[in-house]
Amino acid sequence: MSQTNQHIPGATSLALDRAIELLAQGVQYLLLIILALTMLVPFAWMVSTSLKTEEYVLRFDLIPQPASLDSYRELFDIMPMGRVFLNSLFVTVTGTVGQVLFSAMAAYAFARMQWKGRGVVFSIYLATMMVPFQVVVIPQFVLVSKLGWVNSYQALILPSLFSAFATFLLRQAFLTIPRDLEEAAIMDGANHLTIFWRVMVPLSKPVLATLTVFSFMSMWNSYLWPLFVARQEKYMTLPVALATLQGNNQSLTQWNLVMAGAVITLLPILIVYLFAQKWFVQGAVISGIKG
Amino acid sequence: MNAMIGERGIRRWGWVLFFLMPSLLGLLVFIVGPVFLSLGLTLFEWNLLSDPKFVGLDNFRELYHDTRFWTAFQHTLIYIVLYVPTVFVTAFLVALLLNRPLRGRAAFRMAFYVPVVSSWVAVAMIWRWIFNPRYGLLNFLLGQIGVGGPDWLFDPDTALYAIVIASVWKDAGFSAVLFLAGLQNIPDTYHEAAQIDGANPLQRLRHITIPLITPTAFFVLITTLIGSFQVFDQAWLMPEPFARRGATVIVQQIVNNAFRYQRMGYAAAMSWVLFLIIFVVTLIQIRWQKRWVHYDL
Amino acid sequence: MSRKLLVLGLVFVLLVGLMPAASSAQEVITLRYMSFTGGGDRADEVDAIIAAFEEENPTINIEPANAPFGDYFTMLQADFVGGDPPDVFELNYENFVAYAANDVLLDLTPYVDPTIPYYPRALGAFQYEGKQFALPETFSTVLLFYNKELFDQAGIDYPAPDWTWDDTLEAALKIRALGDDIWGIYSPIQFWEFYKRAAQNGCAFFNEDQTEALVNAPECVEALEVMVGLMESGAMPTPAEQAGISDSELFLNGQLGMVVTGIWWFPAYQEATFDWDVQLEPGMKQKAYHFFSNGIAVAKNTEYPEEAALWAQFMTSSETAVSVRLAADWELPTLDRPDLFASYLEQTPPDNREAVFASLEEPVPPPVIARQSEMQDIFDELLNAVIAGELDPATALDMAKEEIDLLLK
Repeated sequence: MSQTNQHIPGATSLALDRAIELLAQGVQYLLLIILALTMLVPFAWMVSTSLKTEEYVLRFDLIPQPASLDSYRELFDIMPMGRVFLNSLFVTVTGTVGQVLFSAMAAYAFARMQWKGRGVVFSIYLATMMVPFQVVVIPQFVLVSKLGWVNSYQALILPSLFSAFATFLLRQAFLTIPRDLEEAAIMDGANHLTIFWRVMVPLSKPVLATLTVFSFMSMWNSYLWPLFVARQEKYMTLPVALATLQGNNQSLTQWNLVMAGAVITLLPILIVYLFAQKWFVQGAVISGIKG
Repeated sequence: MNAMIGERGIRRWGWVLFFLMPSLLGLLVFIVGPVFLSLGLTLFEWNLLSDPKFVGLDNFRELYHDTRFWTAFQHTLIYIVLYVPTVFVTAFLVALLLNRPLRGRAAFRMAFYVPVVSSWVAVAMIWRWIFNPRYGLLNFLLGQIGVGGPDWLFDPDTALYAIVIASVWKDAGFSAVLFLAGLQNIPDTYHEAAQIDGANPLQRLRHITIPLITPTAFFVLITTLIGSFQVFDQAWLMPEPFARRGATVIVQQIVNNAFRYQRMGYAAAMSWVLFLIIFVVTLIQIRWQKRWVHYDL
Repeated sequence: MSRKLLVLGLVFVLLVGLMPAASSAQEVITLRYMSFTGGGDRADEVDAIIAAFEEENPTINIEPANAPFGDYFTMLQADFVGGDPPDVFELNYENFVAYAANDVLLDLTPYVDPTIPYYPRALGAFQYEGKQFALPETFSTVLLFYNKELFDQAGIDYPAPDWTWDDTLEAALKIRALGDDIWGIYSPIQFWEFYKRAAQNGCAFFNEDQTEALVNAPECVEALEVMVGLMESGAMPTPAEQAGISDSELFLNGQLGMVVTGIWWFPAYQEATFDWDVQLEPGMKQKAYHFFSNGIAVAKNTEYPEEAALWAQFMTSSETAVSVRLAADWELPTLDRPDLFASYLEQTPPDNREAVFASLEEPVPPPVIARQSEMQDIFDELLNAVIAGELDPATALDMAKEEIDLLLK
């Protein structure tokens, strides 16, 4: 018997070892499948309910019969869903691009530039990372209110454009890039902008991709801030609009409409996630970011 | 440093400002400034419509006697005690499973992450549906195995449990991925050596995996703990109006006072008290880690 | 010489031509008007009233905006805080006090035409410290809606105006007995219902000068006990039994015998497939009926106070406004004009529309204080504890009194 097979001391035969191994594998698979199903069944339920017509909403069949897109049609009738969706898209894309870009630029200033006060300013960045959102959200609201920005795109986008955390991570990433590439570029007459754009950015793709996905996710799903700052239908984003669908004892809750709204809210972020999946897990590992 | 490209003086500052300013300006205006504004607000009573009124430490005195705040605090603690260990253990187990060389792991990993990237609004809707005592999936399934399900989100006594369950479901994947990374960082050589010495999987788990996963575990614990003190979305969205009073949480009280009652100063005071609590707890965690976190075997 | 004359002539023509334009450009002013009732289907009605006003007043232009009720007040608040409120806007009675107290409303006393027959009580509702800070626009009440077919099935008489809650409970239990899925009555156990029931039992919410809450008086406790009694008897579903289906839905499904709700549900209940009608609510020691009122106010710092007040008056009392409202079954103007209401009374269902006006004999407006949301939240919390059986009505109201007294300081 070679030493390379997983020999459990005391077992009498190879076949028994194999059997136990297969059993263990089977159990693991079973557990994984059960857990994965637990994760996914609620979503399946959501999609299924969204495709049901009103009378069948309260039944438990998974495959709706008849299946219909009526819920979606009705949803677009009672709410300006198109507008709301575009609001979410506009705010999220602008905010994400802005956040990642500004943070990368600041990271470059910290990682690759020498200037007086750099240490102090960086400590300020680090300090702000400790401040929890509930402390900041109140004065931010006061600020936005007094500026007359309630119900506006500025209110939705501007406060999220600045992330100390993203800057911190990107600085770390930039620091790990070897200098010779830059030196070569300088020899060729490149200035800061060129180095930033053609050297630092391309070489930090995993971290940039991860930050982009997290930023996108966070802004797309943002609920508390838009709830109080963008109530007008003109500026409403998907989570807030979805929450208003919920209704209470005052109005009639139609679950198929609510689920249709939920599907519309979830689809884009799932697509983004699937796309960036590769870098995402890698990046999440490197940085251990909380979404 | 050779990365300076040799500019001096104003030109260099020009570049620095160009790269730094958007981020720094925003940070100062939207975070640093507000922090100080918030601190100042705690000493005032202000509804934004009329002028602020100086009240000194009255807000803190009122907070001390505010039964609603302390009830919310209690609920938050119950939430933490139930949620943190559960999500911790679940995430660890999932990570252990995902670490095995099983086929299709990438697909499984994706499945666990779908709840994480979803919006709490959508997730809360789905779970409110599932938890519905008369028409929901959960009580239906429980009924199939002969168990009478509770009223979940319609009962102030059980609403918090429903919220914990939904929260574990939603967040487990996130910590699982972190644990997975930590597990993959454990050098195979340790495991191989142990196998040669005749250790079985359980023993390897106890003596190698668990000690070496403690740094990751520490990180997961801290982030989960901080996050759970700040729980809001699910507590705001999930309970039925009737059961709300059984599931109030601290951030909810802050939001109520600021945005519904228009008491900016009082809400600010509450937010700082919460911050202080989180700060102290985190400090204790960091001190305590020396006792149980191993960075090497 | 002729060239000069030509140029002078041209200049003169230009000046003459420009002048009217200049003067009319100075004259047409735009007022922003915000409401929460003018959305969806109602937008057309608002536009019709605005058109009539603009015809009478060609120098004034009204720009309407609407927000759903749930969001309206946070948005209005935000506008005020940001320093850019609408010139004219709707307010309901409950929020009026807070705005008046914060000194952001224009005193309309000098602008109001005293010959307009506003209901005196409605006018009074929108006064603060003796000054008229808003004009009453519409009112609505709450009635007992009942499903005639269920009553027939149970073999009982339809509700009569002189019913007490005991009579109602009896009827409700008989209807409940018709089936597992059929409920006798729904009357919510929350703040809005409570203060009215308390008034029905002769209990005042506050003392004369609103420095003390009197909600734990024995009459109030009794009223609450009767309310909870409906649920305890089984005739009314508990929240868990309702499982998220609203009372209106239950009624429309034919599963509810009686429901105490607002007359704003008239249009939606047209869809019912069964015969239904309304009746005055039951009483206890006396009768008391909900009186809800919306008013129109003007921002204190508006640029055009006179014009704004003119529009407010038009929207609340003009012939056009009244006829548009009545034709569209869109809430009732607060004017003492029985001739105008004839058409309203003729619409069916429900047949018994006279009940709406009968209820005006014993109105009880909501108790309102500056810290209204907090008071409502306190009540909802305590009442929910009573529903859950965790607190008995007397203790709950004792606790309510304590907390509200603090809010009154």
